[in-house]
Formats: sequence, structure tokens, C-alpha cells
Amino acid sequence: MFEPFVDVVPSFFGWLNQGPLTLTLFLHTVIVLPMFWIYKQEKARLEQES
Amino acid sequence: MAKKSVWSDNRFWQRSAAWVTGFASMLLIWLTFDTIPQIMLGTDADLQNGVTKRVPGPTVINYKITYEMDKKRGHEIPVIGEKEMFFGRDDYSEEEAAELLHLGKLGSQVKNCMNCHTLLGNGAYYAPDLTKAWLDPAWGPEGSMQAMTGKSSKEEAMAEFLQNPSQYPTHARMMPNLGITAAEAKGLVAFLKHLSSIDTNGFPRNFGKIQGAVHGK
Repeated sequence: MFEPFVDVVPSFFGWLNQGPLTLTLFLHTVIVLPMFWIYKQEKARLEQES
Repeated sequence: MAKKSVWSDNRFWQRSAAWVTGFASMLLIWLTFDTIPQIMLGTDADLQNGVTKRVPGPTVINYKITYEMDKKRGHEIPVIGEKEMFFGRDDYSEEEAAELLHLGKLGSQVKNCMNCHTLLGNGAYYAPDLTKAWLDPAWGPEGSMQAMTGKSSKEEAMAEFLQNPSQYPTHARMMPNLGITAAEAKGLVAFLKHLSSIDTNGFPRNFGKIQGAVHGK
């Protein structure tokens, strides 16, 4: 899964995309994690309202 | 009153959608700016100083290009080597080479090569992929295409074929005569040579499997 970085032009995305799934896993993590935070906030708001 | 679920709450979905859309937009903008320097055309000075660019300068047509396996990267890469004659010359200036490539690029568009062929992943697979066509051993000194056209160099053989494609029996699906002139053919061959020198991360993947396509294999 993790391989040495060997791109011609170094870049953040090149580094992320070195192995299969690394970019996918990263993007899903950063997209889904804040949704937990939004979920918790909304839950607290609904509880307060009821 | 029954407890309201977050899953059926509009605001949760609104905020989630806003986050995902906003994040994806920022990512795409960043990715765009990250890509620009990588696909920037190199210069003649880069070639002379041995600076490796993903897209070499137009004067790459003055050099021999080979396809070599890069063990570290796990795929083949084009390697720019010694000077090589291209239509009897190896001293095309940056302007001349750029003009020739421009003519070839316009030619490839006006004759709609992509209607059948693929260039850098764009186009069709009705006819062979042209991304690495210059490196195809069939056009080399021992190749069948060069022998068939009766020419003594790769570029002349390719130019001859492009001008009279329907004369040469190649694939079951033969290329039609598109009325390509000698000047256009020269531009197109230069365009194809430059195209093959672009580091495409080993694309097309199956090209390296052609017997003799990769140097020393």
C-alpha cells in the first residue's frame, strides 16, 4: 500500500496517489469525518428544541 | 412528542451537502493549479541540460527517443537520448520545431484522428493507440511498416503512409485516404514524435507488451 515517492514532479496529490486506494481512503476520511461533527451538532440542536 | 431523528432532519443533509460540495470544489481548484506546472511544456535549454520534464520542449524532435522500463516507478518511461536525424536534420530551432508541431496538431484536429485513434487517452479504439506510435517497432528499421513503404527512416515511412494510407494493407480496418499533404504529414510525424516523448505514467499500459517496444526487451 505504501511505496516510495518517485514522481518526476513532486506534488501533494502525487504523494497521496502512490498506492492503490490511498487517495480514496484519504478523501473519504476528510469528507466523512466532518459529517460526524455536523451530525452531533444537529443532534444536540434537536434535543435542545424538543 | 416523538423524538426527531437527525437522519430525517433537513438541516443535517443541507449542511452535509454544503460541506461535500464546498470541499470538492476547493480540491478541484487546488488540483488544477497543482497540475499546471506538471503539464507545462519544457524548453530547448531543459533538453540540452538534461532536465527531465513530463512534457519536453518541441526540439525533442532533434533527439532519439527510447522507451525504457523504470523499475522504481514500475512502468515504462520515454527516455530522450542522443541527437537523431528527423527528415535529414537534427538542428531544428525552438521556433521551427514549435511551428512543425503546431502544424501537426492542427492537422490531427482537422483530419479528426481521434475519430478512430487515441491520443493521450482521448479518442477511439477503432484504430491503434497513437500515444506511443513513434516508439512502435513496426516503424523501426526492422519493422514491417518501414519495409512496406520502402523508406529508409521511420519519419519518412510514417509520412509516406499518412499520405497514402489506403495503398498499404495494414489492419483489417484500413485507414482511409484523408488527403494529407507532404507538409502536413511532416507536421503530423513531428507531432507524433513529440507525443511519444511525453511521460504518461506508462499509459497506454499494454504498449510495453509489444515485442521490441521497450528498449532491450
